Amino acid sequence: MSRVNDFSIRRRLLALLLIPTAAIAALATYSAYRTTLSPFEAAYDQDLLDAALAVASNIEAGRGARPAISLTPDAVKVLRSDSQDTIYYRVSGGDGRFLAGDAGLPVPHQRIRNPTFTDSAYQGEPIREANYRVITPAGAAIVTVAETLHKRALARRQVLQSSLAVDAAQLVTALIVIWFGVGFAFRPLRRVERQLAMRGARDLDPVTTDGVPDEIRSLIVALNRLLRALQEAEQAERSFLENAAHQLRTPLAGMLAHLELLAADSAPAEGERVRDILEGGRRLARTTHQLLALARSDTAARTLVNLEAVYLPGVVEAAIAPRIGAADRAQVEIGAQIEPAETRGVRWLLEEALGNLADNAIAATPPGGSVTIRCGVAEDRPFIEVIDTGVGIPPAELDQVFERFYRASNARKAGSGLGLAIVGEVARMHRAEIDIAAGAEGVGTVVRVTFQRSIQL
Amino acid sequence: MRVLIVEDEALIANGVRQGLLRAGFVADVVDNADAARAALQAEGFDLAVIDIGLPREDGLQLVRSLRARHHVLPLMMLTARDGISDRVSALDLGADDYLTKPFHVDELVARCRALIRRAHAAASSALEFGRLRLDIARKEVFSDGVSLDLTQREWSILECLVLSAGRLVTKDRLMSAVSDWSDELTPNAVEVYVSRVRAKIGEAAQIRTVRGLGYQIREPGK
Repeated sequence: MSRVNDFSIRRRLLALLLIPTAAIAALATYSAYRTTLSPFEAAYDQDLLDAALAVASNIEAGRGARPAISLTPDAVKVLRSDSQDTIYYRVSGGDGRFLAGDAGLPVPHQRIRNPTFTDSAYQGEPIREANYRVITPAGAAIVTVAETLHKRALARRQVLQSSLAVDAAQLVTALIVIWFGVGFAFRPLRRVERQLAMRGARDLDPVTTDGVPDEIRSLIVALNRLLRALQEAEQAERSFLENAAHQLRTPLAGMLAHLELLAADSAPAEGERVRDILEGGRRLARTTHQLLALARSDTAARTLVNLEAVYLPGVVEAAIAPRIGAADRAQVEIGAQIEPAETRGVRWLLEEALGNLADNAIAATPPGGSVTIRCGVAEDRPFIEVIDTGVGIPPAELDQVFERFYRASNARKAGSGLGLAIVGEVARMHRAEIDIAAGAEGVGTVVRVTFQRSIQL
Repeated sequence: MRVLIVEDEALIANGVRQGLLRAGFVADVVDNADAARAALQAEGFDLAVIDIGLPREDGLQLVRSLRARHHVLPLMMLTARDGISDRVSALDLGADDYLTKPFHVDELVARCRALIRRAHAAASSALEFGRLRLDIARKEVFSDGVSLDLTQREWSILECLVLSAGRLVTKDRLMSAVSDWSDELTPNAVEVYVSRVRAKIGEAAQIRTVRGLGYQIREPGK
């Protein structure tokens, strides 16, 4: 459920269900409104009709040939009394002529059913009329009773409001149920997610499909297939490198051992030549070692290796101890400046990187010079540093020194040009920064590897 | 002094054997773990050099089985693999030291000698190094047979250095070596003691300072 591309099944499902659910709710509201409203309308119409009938019962045969109305003012008052609406009435003759009441009240066409209800307007307000036709001894008369629509509007509003409220509540409930229902339905997915999150970075074991819903089982199966392929590829690469290391180093070790003995046993003239061969063999061995280290750090950087807390003074010690002899032979004084410091990383790779920096420093330094390996914390960040009093790196070549097999133009000794490439690779996988600068007063080189403050590789 | 070489690669086995013979050792070669156990059962050896990459039963398994049978002889491991896990598991299983192929024969011989010296010191309570002889039981040092007057702390420092002859001994280790009877020792005090020891032993052995890190004792003239 990544938020990165804003795609969410829950939101999608909600959007898909919202439109039909809302449409059904609207339809239900309308239908409830109509059903609930019609008895109200009928009752109000009946009231109007009752009033019309009451008026009609007061029509008598008047003088002459016209019906007469015998409504007392009190009776008219009762007729017109209503809490909300204004009541109008009119009595017309059979020919539509005004007889009594509100003269302006519109009268429908005469040939109507009896009684009849019409919607009309009077004094600029909509009204509802009930018309009743009576036959009196004096002839036909039409009684019209009308009222404004306030009551009806109120009833309509109330009916609408209540059905709207019910349906809106239903809609909201449905959406809430969907929202949480989706969350609930996705709980097994969350469980899988947690399971994956809790794994060690190196853990490529298959994810269990127990208790996983059908919908994502195929996803898990595909994931497991990928994990297995990764595991196999990594295993194959590792065993290839192990075999390569063994197959390259074993004959080299034997050869070098014999050459070393031969060099010691030979007569001076031959001994010189054997020592040259031995020197070449050692370079070959060293390059082999560096290539293997580079390949392994490559693999380590690409695959996820387990990081451990690495105490940097231990790394410095491990880099210096095996090089005391080499420094002595080069007449270079080697030493350390150690402050407590710790980082997270792969210990053997850090030792390999620092060892290469130390080798370079010793090789670059003329007899009488010194090499100092430091570790410590600067500005909250752990670092290791190698300082030499050697020939330095030409500034123009600083960009190239991390390239594989690149050798500085002023290199004092033969080398493979792989040392800094290894350092670069190891720094990259530890997300460390490398700074190369000239030493104090422009003499020698300072290489500093600065690690992250808090390592989350 | 007799060394058993357990190595299936003849080229390396012969090289190691020649190197040890030249250094005055007696050396025998076997090429598998079973033969190694049989040889160690039958004859007395002072040390075994064991390749980790043996066929069938590897060197680590051999170390485990030897230690399980209470063999106390020093074990020197060889391996063609890098990384730290082999080194750690070898030392955890009871191996005493470790070298990665290819190695310098000189260094292998020096380390074998140091291991044997240490084992002998434990057994006979006498330790010889360069022109020094240390009597561990009586905490006495002789240079060319002449007794040297060392204080207890100086003695402990010299013993610690000689037991790790040829190796870098950090100041921390020296400090803990003498901390049995002094909790208050500072790195500066260690330097003072080392310089006194150096003055007292004179030319009989050479104590080299590795700036900022520690010390290394060497035989004179090396």
